[in-house]
Amino acid sequence: MDARKSSIAIGCIVVATLLVLAAGLMPGARTLSFEAVLRALVSPDGRIESILVWTLRLPRSLAAATAGAGLAVSGYLLQSLTRNPLADPGITGVTAGAIAPIVVCFVFLPSVSGLYYPLVGLAGGLAAASVTFWVARGGNGHPLHLALGGVSVSLFLGAITIYVLLFAGPQSTALLFWLAGGFAGRTWGHLLQMLPWVLVGVSGAFLLHRVIAMFALSDHSAAAMGVQLNLWKPVLLLLGICPVAGVAPVAGPVAFVGLAAPHIAKLLRPRGTALEIGLTAAIGALIVTAADLVARTIAIPKELPVGIVTALLGGPFFVYLVQRGRLDFKGEGA
Amino acid sequence: MSLNAPAIGQPSRWILPAALVLVLLSFVAAVFLGIVDLPARDVLSALTGTGSPEARSIILDIRLPRIVTGILAGMQFALAGLFLQTITRNPLADPSLMGVSQGATLTVTVFLLFTVYLANPDSYSVNELPIAWLPPAGMIGGMLAGGIIYLLAFRLDLSPLRITLCGIAIGAVLHAVAIGLIAGWGSARIEIILEWLSGSLYARTWDHALFLLPFTIAGLAMLPLIYRPLILLRFDPAVARSFGLSYKRQFSLVLLVSCALAASAVGAVGPVVFVGLIVPHLARFLAGRHFPLVLPLTVVLGAVIVTLGDLIGRLAGGPEEVPIGVVTALMGVPVLLALLRKVP
Repeated sequence: MDARKSSIAIGCIVVATLLVLAAGLMPGARTLSFEAVLRALVSPDGRIESILVWTLRLPRSLAAATAGAGLAVSGYLLQSLTRNPLADPGITGVTAGAIAPIVVCFVFLPSVSGLYYPLVGLAGGLAAASVTFWVARGGNGHPLHLALGGVSVSLFLGAITIYVLLFAGPQSTALLFWLAGGFAGRTWGHLLQMLPWVLVGVSGAFLLHRVIAMFALSDHSAAAMGVQLNLWKPVLLLLGICPVAGVAPVAGPVAFVGLAAPHIAKLLRPRGTALEIGLTAAIGALIVTAADLVARTIAIPKELPVGIVTALLGGPFFVYLVQRGRLDFKGEGA
Repeated sequence: MSLNAPAIGQPSRWILPAALVLVLLSFVAAVFLGIVDLPARDVLSALTGTGSPEARSIILDIRLPRIVTGILAGMQFALAGLFLQTITRNPLADPSLMGVSQGATLTVTVFLLFTVYLANPDSYSVNELPIAWLPPAGMIGGMLAGGIIYLLAFRLDLSPLRITLCGIAIGAVLHAVAIGLIAGWGSARIEIILEWLSGSLYARTWDHALFLLPFTIAGLAMLPLIYRPLILLRFDPAVARSFGLSYKRQFSLVLLVSCALAASAVGAVGPVVFVGLIVPHLARFLAGRHFPLVLPLTVVLGAVIVTLGDLIGRLAGGPEEVPIGVVTALMGVPVLLALLRKVP
């Protein structure tokens, strides 16, 4: 696709996301008619419709869209940085790294305010990613090692998380719902809490799209073109982890979005890195918004955690990518 | 290369006897040590059938069954890991990395959901949990996950590397669904499944040991039959076929055996991660590439690791013991990461 077509594609996906978002305002434990939603949106009053729309459904859907865009860009950055098509926040252990210390804080240090959880998540995610990248030699070792190292780090942290949950007693139910990944009952406050982190990641990726494009070739070529590896590698890694650190305290782990969205974007072949990033963010937002809508309407009045839906969508897509050879590595005869 | 070629550095003939002695020592230590301080004399008299009822109950009904269950499960995890590593030609394959454990988790969750929650909608009533049925339920899920791996290998015709990748993805999906179900469950009895999820030998009875015993015996009895295929499966399919191996049949057989071993063990003690991964490496480290020695050493060391891990967990945590799954994760991950770093 050339630049114009790519922009149109991004526009279409954004419009589709908005449509899903708007459609999501209607169904729920109490179904609202189209007119009722419109009236509540245009002139909010104290009535039940407007409360449903403005305090329950709109913020959670917006949170889903924001989280999706953030996770997708995070996956894109990690994949570009390592030139490994498998890299994504879940598989590299970043998500588990963000989750485990937050659970520990929640159970053992209740005095730590929830406002600091993104910072805790950032530190944990950074630590986990460092271990994974150390194992995979910064993406220069055997590409499978990135996945195996990340999964091992995740299993390790998962065992600790479950152990801590055993101590949590009555809180464990609430923690588990968060651990399953979901947007139920998320408010404007939650949205505001994660927005800056996602914005940092997404806008940083846009600003640095030239550097990212040079990383796509190899470390050597990037260095030859004047990219300071020692500076930009850590910066890109940090930018990739920021959205996860912001999303994890609010929505828990939402699996496979960071892996799938960049691959779908690349299947559309946009021209240029900046457009690719835009497309990735839009697709991520669309996936999570739609998955959230499915998760909360499939079994009204109960709802599924959105993590189940994205995992059920993402797993088969992953197998498809593997089978099509899209996850093969350069110079690998697999 | 002949099949029994000694590898670089003939391993010491004392390794296997030494490992067997280690099993005995760890077994004895596990029987005599515990959070309840029983004098050695009381333990001995309890073992011979005399002694106070409390001591007898502690030794015969609490410590011994969990130790035996742990030994059996440890041997099964270790064998399953060795088999998976051999057939996927990937030194990092493991039941917990390839979806078998997660499959078992999912079916146990679904089973508990149906029997406890749906059968008694008011979830606060305390009723008898069908704990005796958990091992078979977990076993079914593990076998189903193994079936998916099989389909990937032969229907989609994937290479071992890709099978490993897909196994990781399938494990992640099954795990997400299981956690989602637990979260949606919202019952007051959630600790039951949490404790099972952490991989624990807590409150294991002779029933668990008896459930595992046939699988352990069958797995060990299969060893002479699949010994030669195991050696040949380490090669490329083309090479293995040129030695006269019916690759597909033997691959399926070994996959089936390893899934049955892993799934039944997960069913009985929960997903104890990394035992299947670490133990074969430990065995290879001690025995070199001498496969005739690696195989028995894997079995023996599996028993040692789980027994010692459980003992550490029992003694370290005080009254709230540390589940064996947490102990093996804590011990296993540094080893694993170092291994990954070493493999070029």
